[in-house]
Amino acid sequence: MTHVFRLSLRQLLGRWRVTVILALSGLMIALTAIAAGQADLSEDAGVVVLIFDGLLIRALLPIVIMTLATAAFGNELEDRTLSYLTIKPVPRWRIALPKLLASLTVGGPVVILTGVIMTMIAFGLDAKPVAATAAALAVGVTAYAAIFTWAGLVTANALPFCLLYVFIWEALAGALLSGISYLSVRAYSLSVMHAIDDNSFSGVADGVIALPVAVGSAALVIAVFFALTVLRLRRMDTP
Amino acid sequence: MTGPAIEARSVSKWFGDVVAVSDVSFEVQPGVTGLLGPNGAGKTTLLHVISGLARPSQGEAFMLGERVWNNPEVYRRVGFVSEHESAYGFYTGSQFVELSACLFGLPDPADAADRAIGYVAMEHAQSRKIDTYSRGMRQRIRLAAAIVHEPEVLLLDEPLNGTDPRQRVQFQELMRKMVEDEGRTVLISSHILEEVESVADRILLMVGGKLAAAGDFRAIRAKLDEQPYRVRIVASEPRRLAAALVRMDELDSISVDDDGALIALSRNVGVLQTAVPKSAAELGIRILRVEPLDESLESVFSYVVER
Repeated sequence: MTHVFRLSLRQLLGRWRVTVILALSGLMIALTAIAAGQADLSEDAGVVVLIFDGLLIRALLPIVIMTLATAAFGNELEDRTLSYLTIKPVPRWRIALPKLLASLTVGGPVVILTGVIMTMIAFGLDAKPVAATAAALAVGVTAYAAIFTWAGLVTANALPFCLLYVFIWEALAGALLSGISYLSVRAYSLSVMHAIDDNSFSGVADGVIALPVAVGSAALVIAVFFALTVLRLRRMDTP
Repeated sequence: MTGPAIEARSVSKWFGDVVAVSDVSFEVQPGVTGLLGPNGAGKTTLLHVISGLARPSQGEAFMLGERVWNNPEVYRRVGFVSEHESAYGFYTGSQFVELSACLFGLPDPADAADRAIGYVAMEHAQSRKIDTYSRGMRQRIRLAAAIVHEPEVLLLDEPLNGTDPRQRVQFQELMRKMVEDEGRTVLISSHILEEVESVADRILLMVGGKLAAAGDFRAIRAKLDEQPYRVRIVASEPRRLAAALVRMDELDSISVDDDGALIALSRNVGVLQTAVPKSAAELGIRILRVEPLDESLESVFSYVVER
């Protein structure tokens, strides 16, 4: 399994992809710093929502993970190298798991570290909001990675599919229908964030669900989409 | 092993309304077997079904007595080189072959990779990245990755694409060695008859997704040789040249097409090649162009099917 993991890391660490991800992270940190320079964020719940929900969880988190996870299989399908893996005596879960882990290994630290820096800019060195952001992002990174890895395997148009999920389903439908929170990675992340530190992140209370439900739902999403990925690998024709 | 090394039982494969392979059944025994057919005949799809990369829409494929589809364990005994040339370009040749050895679960991947690379004579370039390889080198390193676990069955899809004549000879020697010294089963697909001719004992002939003929290479080749070749000749005075050529016994027919070029049909191209310039020189006619019209072999394959 380590061989597929190392191979996947090499594939995901392409120069342009890493540059885009780091540039986006830098932009988020810069915007937070600008906002912090103009207002006391610990006192302004509206700006906190804008930065941590609007920029971090709605934008940076899904975009970074989308860029990586859809490529985990997508690149191999596009350049027709997937057969080098599928025509080996390797159980399919041992191909899917390292692909997922590679996306997490590359994307997780970038997203979580960016979130932690943004939190420290906004709230200083207080451990509670930092822990809340890190935990929320860890849940979001893993759930999105599971969904987007599957998407990269089932469709050649994974990026549009993922953008639709994030910006139409989670953002638009989520704003109109409260029940969407139970089927939204964004809602799981915000719920974890709010549950750990409801003082700093009081502004994100709208649409959050109970912590056990959020964590349980995220775990279920991860398990279901990982299983779907393995199933797809077993049943699909390899180009 | 008592049964066939490869077996297809009524295999069909379709994509939407397009039938790529239609009700194909055959058995392949140890030795080299050629899977021949023009482009679009369904060879690659059939190889994908046989190798387990594609699920048959109907029927089943077996390798060494085991069902292939959704059975990764069978790959411990099978090697496959696909038609496309892509590989992990950021890896060196040796890293690529060693990755393959690791995925096959070999106890000493580095040693197995060294042996396979030596087998295809790629030691000199094994430390270079695959991105820097020529097409022929890519084919050889991909072959090394496919045979690193010393498979009993080897499936090769158009393996000679992009290779030069010297590499073709090397490849043919390699195939002979694998079969004669090691008793393996090799199935090679190609759309070029001559590529397979020197290594294959038996052929499977695919046309339009169907198995048109199967069996001894020489018997089928003899059928192919009976077909007249068509040659198009552009000359300064085509009708005078036609009048001279029509007396040749080796010529089946000669006609003038809409563009004023001669279309000659002959079963003996060698004699035609000599007679045309000779007659033209005697008559003071300039030959502007001579081109074969059956180069794709499509018509040759069709000819066999029609018989």
